[in-house]
Amino acid sequence: MKRIIYALIAVALISCKKDKTTVITPTVTQVQEQEIHTDWYGSWVGNFNAEKYNENSEDVSYVNKISIVIKKITSDIVTGQSVVAGNSRPLTGTISGTDNNAFVLKEPGDNKYDGTFTFRIDGDTLSGKWISNNKKVTVTERSFKLVKKQFTYYPQLMLPEERDYIDYSHTKTEEIVEEDGTVSNENLYRQASESVRTINASTQELTEDQLKNLKKLDLEIIRNTIFARHGYTFKKKSVRQFFDPVDWYVPVSEDVSADLTKLEKDNIVLLKRFEKYAEDNYDSFGR
Amino acid sequence: MAKQIPKRAIILKWVWRLGFSIFFYLMLAITLRYFPINPNVAFLQIKQSEITSVPSYFYIFYIHVCSSAFTLLAGFTQFSTFLLKRYPIIHKTIGMIYVYTVVLLSGPSGIYIGYYANGGITSKISFILLGILWLLFTILGIRLIKTGNRIGHEKFMLRSFALAFSAITLRLWKVVLVFFFHPPPMEVYRIIAWLGWIPNLLLIEWYIIKKYKK
Repeated sequence: MKRIIYALIAVALISCKKDKTTVITPTVTQVQEQEIHTDWYGSWVGNFNAEKYNENSEDVSYVNKISIVIKKITSDIVTGQSVVAGNSRPLTGTISGTDNNAFVLKEPGDNKYDGTFTFRIDGDTLSGKWISNNKKVTVTERSFKLVKKQFTYYPQLMLPEERDYIDYSHTKTEEIVEEDGTVSNENLYRQASESVRTINASTQELTEDQLKNLKKLDLEIIRNTIFARHGYTFKKKSVRQFFDPVDWYVPVSEDVSADLTKLEKDNIVLLKRFEKYAEDNYDSFGR
Repeated sequence: MAKQIPKRAIILKWVWRLGFSIFFYLMLAITLRYFPINPNVAFLQIKQSEITSVPSYFYIFYIHVCSSAFTLLAGFTQFSTFLLKRYPIIHKTIGMIYVYTVVLLSGPSGIYIGYYANGGITSKISFILLGILWLLFTILGIRLIKTGNRIGHEKFMLRSFALAFSAITLRLWKVVLVFFFHPPPMEVYRIIAWLGWIPNLLLIEWYIIKKYKK
């Protein structure tokens, strides 16, 4: 009997201890968190349009695709990430004003291109503007109107059929002499072949025979489509021009090397080799 | 003797010498890209499936690249009547180098790598045919001089060298086609496979007819 009583007391003591700990922890977290609008968490995607920029500069990116990722909203702090044009920056700030749907978020400020985002969320759109810290950069103000779009990696995604893939970032000017002797200049652009819409380097092991007939632009696009599927944000304007308009493309990261599959890595090596060969040899004396 | 040669022929001769020197230099530069020996360099960069699946391809490819440079040397010496008359030993020595190189090394290796050529059956047939004709003309040329038939020897050696020279014309046509039409690489390849040597043969045939019609 004594034994049973001792045992009961022991059980009671243990359960008491347990109770204490389980009671304490939730109160602590509740005080810290109080998360508001978790339904707004995730990536908001759309165009990042230049509003104020140096008119004399030839290097203005008028439109880039941007993702604003909202990670946490509390009454004290709001955190997130901005991913645009090859640049992924952490955001911290607060809910502004009395409405709970207006925000001011700042990039850290240690990068030349950092600035402040001011935006509102109304229904399913997130809209606002960004102002640069440094007034000497090419674009000092941009506007955006974004919709929520979750990033998911689907290896079978392909570039859409309905568009032509023309490289507007590199021009070759050709002089054209008309029959009546007038001379005019025509800008020539490279256009990618059908292959960029048919060859998927994320789902099949590419062969040399598949790539031999492709020009450098085709090879580059096929390789970069792998990165686009992984949500890589491209630093080069010449690459962004092909992927920014694509619906499924959501830039979420500036480093996807850890996400690439073995198949994709092998294909990247092969594609790079062919790109190099195309660059060195396509128009020169040799093979 | 020199007075009998028309001015136009002298100019042509110098244009040929200068042009040939430039292209010979370019061909040497292309050959040197393969050194140090590397299974993944220049043209071999797009031949890795052959390199890995056909072990002998790599060696035979190198035999072709290295030996063929020597066959082009003949272009400097063999068609000079001055050398032939004053220093026949030079003509004979370089001629023997040419014949042995073509028959034992460049020709057979050319046919072999022609079998694995890029661009599919169209270019394969062209390169194999080119290799066979090259061997044939060279062997005929050497057999004719052994029987003392100098004219026959010259005719066939001209044909043989016209085919050797396709190494240069093929690459030249490529530059021209890409400059004007920007076709996909393998389409260029299928065209130059034929364009590289057929016009050469026609041109040399026309030259032979013209030279011996008198």
